[in-house]
Amino acid sequence: MESTVMIKGSKSGIILVLDEKLEFSKLQTDVAKKIKESAKFLGKTHIALQFQGRTLSDEEVQTLIKIIEDNSRLKIACVIEDNEKQEEKFKKNLDQALSKMNDNSGQFYKGNLRSGQVLESESSIVVIGDVNAGAKVVSKGNIIIIGNLKGNVFAGAGGNKRAFVLALGMQPIQIRIADFIARAPDKEETKGIFKDKASLFYRKKSKKSVQDLSSNEMKIAFVDGEKIMIEPLNKDVLNEIKF
Amino acid sequence: MGEVIVVTSGKGGVGKTTTTANVGTGLAKLGKKVVLIDTDIGLRNLDVVMGLENRIVYNLVDVIEGNCRIKQALIKDKRLDTLYLLPSAQTKDKSAVNPEQMKKLAEQLKDEFDYIIMDCPAGIEQGFQNAIAGADSALVVTTPEVSAVRDADRIIGLLDANEMKQIHLIVNRLRNQMVKDNNMLSSDDVVEILGVDLIGVVPDDEQIIVSTNNGEPLVGTEALAGQAYMNICRRLLGEEVELLDLNGKKGLFSKIGNLFKKN
Repeated sequence: MESTVMIKGSKSGIILVLDEKLEFSKLQTDVAKKIKESAKFLGKTHIALQFQGRTLSDEEVQTLIKIIEDNSRLKIACVIEDNEKQEEKFKKNLDQALSKMNDNSGQFYKGNLRSGQVLESESSIVVIGDVNAGAKVVSKGNIIIIGNLKGNVFAGAGGNKRAFVLALGMQPIQIRIADFIARAPDKEETKGIFKDKASLFYRKKSKKSVQDLSSNEMKIAFVDGEKIMIEPLNKDVLNEIKF
Repeated sequence: MGEVIVVTSGKGGVGKTTTTANVGTGLAKLGKKVVLIDTDIGLRNLDVVMGLENRIVYNLVDVIEGNCRIKQALIKDKRLDTLYLLPSAQTKDKSAVNPEQMKKLAEQLKDEFDYIIMDCPAGIEQGFQNAIAGADSALVVTTPEVSAVRDADRIIGLLDANEMKQIHLIVNRLRNQMVKDNNMLSSDDVVEILGVDLIGVVPDDEQIIVSTNNGEPLVGTEALAGQAYMNICRRLLGEEVELLDLNGKKGLFSKIGNLFKKN
C-alpha cells in the first residue's frame, strides 16, 4: 500500500506530504498514526511546518496541527505556506490576461510629466500633456502623447515589436520599442543650437537623413526591420499599423 | 494673514539667495512687513548678501530647539524697518530641523508678517523638504541653461507632488545679446519647456555681484536687474507690470528712432 502521508525533515522544520485524493477524516487518522510512529525520532522541539501535495483550508490546517501536537512532543511554531505552484499559476494567468488587454485597451494620463517622473503602464497609454526631458514613459503596449515628447519612452516593454509611439511634438531623447533603441542625434555644431532642433532620425523610404522633428505635426515611431523609424502620421502609415 | 513663499531652483548657483534678498527687500520697500528665512542650514549666506552677518546672535536651529524665542532670533534690516531676517545655523546640518517644525514656525510668523520668504538650499533632499513644508507658493528660479532648466523641471514636479498651489517662474541672468544670436535659450523657450507662469526675467548684471559683495540688495535701483526685481515684487502684489525691455542702454540715435516708431 502506498503511504498517504510522508514526513520530510529539514533543518528547521518538517514537510508533511499529503495524499491529494484521500478523504480528510481518513487523512487525519493516517497523520496521527504517522506522527506517533516518528514521535521519538522527531523529539521535543519547536518547528516550522509545511504542507505539500494537497490544498488545505484554514480549518483543516488547524486540525492537523492539533493532531501533530497531540501525538508528539513537537510544538508547531509556524506554518509555511506552499505558494510556489499557485504563484506560478497566478502569474501565468495574469500575463495572459494582460497581454490580451494590451492589444486593445489603454489608459489615460492627463498632465505634464516632469524630469524624474516615471509613468509605467501594463497597457497602452495616452498622455495628454508634455513629457519633458528627464521624464520617462514605459508601457507594454503603445504610447501616445498628445503634447511634446522630449523625454524617454519605452513602448512594447514586454517585447512587442509592433508597439508604436505617437507624439504631437516628437523630440525624444531616446525611444525604445521592444528590444530596439534609437536616440536623438548629437547636436550638430551650428550657430544658434537652440533654434535648430532638426534631428537625424532616418526616414523610411527616402532615407533622407535630416528632418525637422520639432514641427507640430503628429509623428509616429515604429520598428521597421532592425531600426526604429519616425514618420509623419498619414493614412498610409495608419493602414500599416497592425496589433 | 501672511503668505509663505519659498524660493527654490534645484540647481545651485542660479540666484536663489540673491532673489530672496532682492524680492524680500523690494516687498519691504513697497510697504509690506517681510521676514526672510535662510533654510540652508550649514551653508548660511543670506545674511552675508543682506549685510547683516555681524548682527547674528541666535539662529533658526536655536528657535526650533527652543533655545530662544522667535523675536530674539529675528534680525532687523539695517535699512528698512519692516524687513527681518531669520538666519540659519552654520554649525549644524539639514537634519537639525524637520518639515513639521518648519511648518509650525511658518504658521507662527504668519500672524505678524505679510510675507515670509524661505531661501531654499540647492538639491531635493531634506533641506528642500524643510523649506517647502510650510509654503503657500513657490518662486522657481532658473537660468537659461539646459541643466538649470532640467533641474527646475524636476523641482516643479516635486512641488506639484507636494500640492503647491501656486508656482511662479523667474528666469535669471538672461543675456539678451546671446538670445538674439540664438546662443541662449530665451525666456519664452524656458516657459515653453516648464509650462508654469513667468513672473519675471532678470538680466545678467554685473551690478548684482557688486551689490552682493557690499551686502546691499539692488532692488529698486536704476540698475536693470534692480528694476527687474522691483517689477517682480509688484507682480507678486498683484499689479500688472510689463516685462522689462532688456536691450539696456541705448545710443542717442536708437532713442530718437524709437520716438519716431511710437509715432
